[in-house]
Parts: sequence; structure tokens; C-alpha cells
Amino acid sequence: MASNVTIIGKTTRVRGRVHGPGDLEVQGFVDGEIVVTGDVTVALHGMVGAGIRGRRVVVRGAVKGDLVGDEAVLLEDGARVVGDVHAPRVAIGPGALVRGYVETGEGGAAPARTARVQPAVRPAVAPAAVSHTPERAPAVVASKPAAAKAVEPPARAAPAAASNSGPRRPPPLVVPVLKGAKGQIAKKRER
Amino acid sequence: MASTIIGAGITIEGEISTDEDVVVAGTVRGKLTAKEAVTIEHGATVEADVQGGSLVVGGSLTGNVTAVERVDLQSGSRVIGNLKAARVTIADGAQFKGNVDMDV
Repeated sequence: MASNVTIIGKTTRVRGRVHGPGDLEVQGFVDGEIVVTGDVTVALHGMVGAGIRGRRVVVRGAVKGDLVGDEAVLLEDGARVVGDVHAPRVAIGPGALVRGYVETGEGGAAPARTARVQPAVRPAVAPAAVSHTPERAPAVVASKPAAAKAVEPPARAAPAAASNSGPRRPPPLVVPVLKGAKGQIAKKRER
Repeated sequence: MASTIIGAGITIEGEISTDEDVVVAGTVRGKLTAKEAVTIEHGATVEADVQGGSLVVGGSLTGNVTAVERVDLQSGSRVIGNLKAARVTIADGAQFKGNVDMDV
């Protein structure tokens, strides 16, 4: 029955490290590093308080920590991520919120497997001109556009930025896991 | 239909607490606390103190067990630790070393 799929259920809390081969779905809370060789899914109400590494990392919940995908990191509607994102392919869909450095490409995290064209590495501090665009374009699952979108200035996440767009949904609830993250971000920007 | 499943190969080092059923097919080291049924499948390894509504062991368990209802050690299981529950069964073919504490 329970074969290679691991599910952390809605009311389950794990404090500690989760690692090994196989897929993992987090519907509850994991406060500890996740390192698996299969796919990781953080479900809509799932929360992870530390870094995640997997083949494909799909996030619809909250993560405070770095995301490393050997193949891809897909941040979908409902995702709230505070941390860096690194994968050959990164997609940030509409409705996903990210604060952190995002980089596509094979370097570092995933050893180069194919001779694919290396996506241009954008500087961490992108020009602030993006903020006037009222509505973001639909998700693009591709290296370059995703990267471009990903490095929108972090200021976008500030409450003030919400005023310029009419039909936007209200900002998401403050999740405990994201609290106190500002200091961490500031630290990262200094590098 | 367990809501929390630790798949084969996956290792969790730390504390797990839940209100749901738990099935362990992989490895757990630390502590496992559940309100409902806990199943340690054949091939699974648990090195942890286990608390649950009930516990079925088919695999290997090292640690003390406290269950509200019952503990069942299946044939082929290997358990080292103390068992405390209202009812305890140990199947023929189970390996067990420890104290048994039932409501007598």
C-alpha cells in the first residue's frame, strides 16, 4: 500500500530532518530540512520551515527556506516563499509570492547534465521599474522569462505595492512561518 | 486510509506528532506521537518512542510503546522495548524483548 510516496498529513507536525529516495507531499507542517531524490509537493495549507531539495519542487503553501530543484521549482497559486530559489527551470505562477534570490540554471545545485543554453544570470537587484505593471502575465514555464519575472524587486511584496492594481486579491494572511523573516532577507541582500 | 504516510526509503529524524493515522513504511528516528492508529509496516524501521491510539507492528521497532487501546505485534516483527496498552497481542513468529503492561 504505502510504497514510495510519503505524505505528511494535515494535522501532522514533523520537527526534524526528512530525507531519502521517493516522493514527498507536505499537507501539514515540517520544521526541518527536506532532502529527497523524488518530487516534493507542499500542498495549499502545508508549511515548511526549512530548506527543500528535490527533483521537482512544487509549492502551493508556505516555505521559509531555500528551494533547490534538480529539475524544476514550480511556485503555484497560494505559494508563499521566503528564501532563495535555484533550479534549471523555475516557474512562478500568478498568485505566488516570493521574497528571495531566484536563479535558473544548472550551476551549483544541479550538476550540468545537458548542453542546454545557459540562461543569462540576472543581477539580484533588478531595476524598480517593474512595479508600474498593473497585472502580472500568466505563468510562463520557461527558464528565461521565469527568471526575469522572478527577480522583480522585493518591494513588490510590500503592502504599498498592492495599491496600484485594481482586481488584485487582498494580501494573504500572515503566516507564522513567515514572521521575522525580514531580518533574514536584509542579511541576504547585503551579500 | 492513512493521512500520514512515511514511504519506504524515506527517513525522518526528529519528532512527529499528529491527530491522524500514521503508516510507517520507511524509517523514523526520534519520537512518534499520534492520536489514532499507528502502523509500522513490514520492512519499516522505527527507533523511537511511540504513542498512539493503537499500534500494529509488522517491521522493526526499538523503543517504548504507549497505546490507548491495543498493541499488535505481527508475525515477522521485531520489537525491543516496553509495551503499555489495554490489550497486547504478540503473534507466533514475532520477536520481542521487553516488559508488557496491560490493564489487569
